[in-house]
Amino acid sequence: MSNQTPVIDVRNLARRYGRTDAVDGLNLRVAAGRCYGLFGRNGAGKTTTIKCLLNLLRPTRGEVRMFGLDPARDEVAVKSRVAYVPDYVAFYPWMTVDDTLAYFASFRPRWNSATEASLVQQFRLDRRQKTSHLSKGQRTQLALITAICAEPELLVLDEPTAGLDPIVRREFIQTVIGAYQDGEPGRRTVLISTHLISEFEGLIDEFTIVDGGRDVLTMESDAARQKYQKIHARFAIDPADADLSGMRVLRRQGRDVEVLVNGDVGAVMERLRAAAPEAVVAETLTLEEIFVSTLQHQEMVA
Amino acid sequence: MRFLLNFKSGTPVYLQLVDQVKRAAASGALVAGEALPSIRPLAEELRVNRNTVAKAYAELESQGVIESLAGKGCFVTARETPFKKDVRRKLIAETIDQAVVHAHQLQIEKSEFLRLSEERFVTFEQKRARASHG
Repeated sequence: MSNQTPVIDVRNLARRYGRTDAVDGLNLRVAAGRCYGLFGRNGAGKTTTIKCLLNLLRPTRGEVRMFGLDPARDEVAVKSRVAYVPDYVAFYPWMTVDDTLAYFASFRPRWNSATEASLVQQFRLDRRQKTSHLSKGQRTQLALITAICAEPELLVLDEPTAGLDPIVRREFIQTVIGAYQDGEPGRRTVLISTHLISEFEGLIDEFTIVDGGRDVLTMESDAARQKYQKIHARFAIDPADADLSGMRVLRRQGRDVEVLVNGDVGAVMERLRAAAPEAVVAETLTLEEIFVSTLQHQEMVA
Repeated sequence: MRFLLNFKSGTPVYLQLVDQVKRAAASGALVAGEALPSIRPLAEELRVNRNTVAKAYAELESQGVIESLAGKGCFVTARETPFKKDVRRKLIAETIDQAVVHAHQLQIEKSEFLRLSEERFVTFEQKRARASHG
């Protein structure tokens, strides 16, 4: 709305390691102000894609634009507007928490010291502690502080909550919503790569499912939750002659039939009702269920 | 006020928030002039995108259910109810339908159900009378 140029614009990206195509024809477009999910299984190509966005890897082919700029040619201009929290965070082990914060702040054009103070206190981090003595959860918290205090226009989170305990996860997500999103709307874009989708269900407003190095489905979350439904029908007797042709049957057990609907829920309900069931219930799929069913369908097609 | 979100309902999350505020205002659980939680703490608590809460509040404001005062927050407007009469009828019919189905499952006859409803009404009115006197 406020900014027409997409924050991320990736076209036909490919990246090859030796003979393996980690990413192979991926498209991704993220508008400013969105909270965007990049969903995929381990090895789907999410991290490789992110590294190409940040110019940590050169694409084998395809085009990457960040804020309309080329991240290889305008590396400094792009990196000064982005903060990245990787899945495994490494700090200099001899530095304390305080040293690390000062070190990160020294590279940044902006640094919000008030946010730093409140997050260090909220996460109960000891400023004099050496980073080599921090737990995995504390390292992730420190990485999140270094990312948020720089007030970047784009916050990139790569599998941020993997391996964290539930309390740290909850605090992590609340911090992204609170401390980060609270800034100027339209200049606070989030890209979250994850396979732990249910944790981010309420946060994601648009997503791309990646599989085998390609984008297989891109949708707005609300639209997806309206489009994908599961219909459960219970019949008085085993509906041996019910016409289920063309439906994706998830479960068929005695008198119960469960089908997945992708689109016209009303039409499928009508057809099931024609077989005179005792009860028919439609239920929306969560983003995680949409993810699972999309990938299972991929396998069936392949 | 307490919000309950259901990602499986098929209703967009922001509309669930809108509906819940309207219901609370219609039922008297929220009274005119009462403040709604600010966007940031509510988004953090529900763990939803801040934009979702902002969108819900903007929708409520355009419908005249709440008004936002710069720097102070959002408040329920002083109106009778944000619903037209037919909408209110439909809402209560949904609740009654649930009770009717439940009664059927518990094998409670229609006459007994109606007598019980009458009784609950009397109890409610007595409670309200006592509250306003005491």
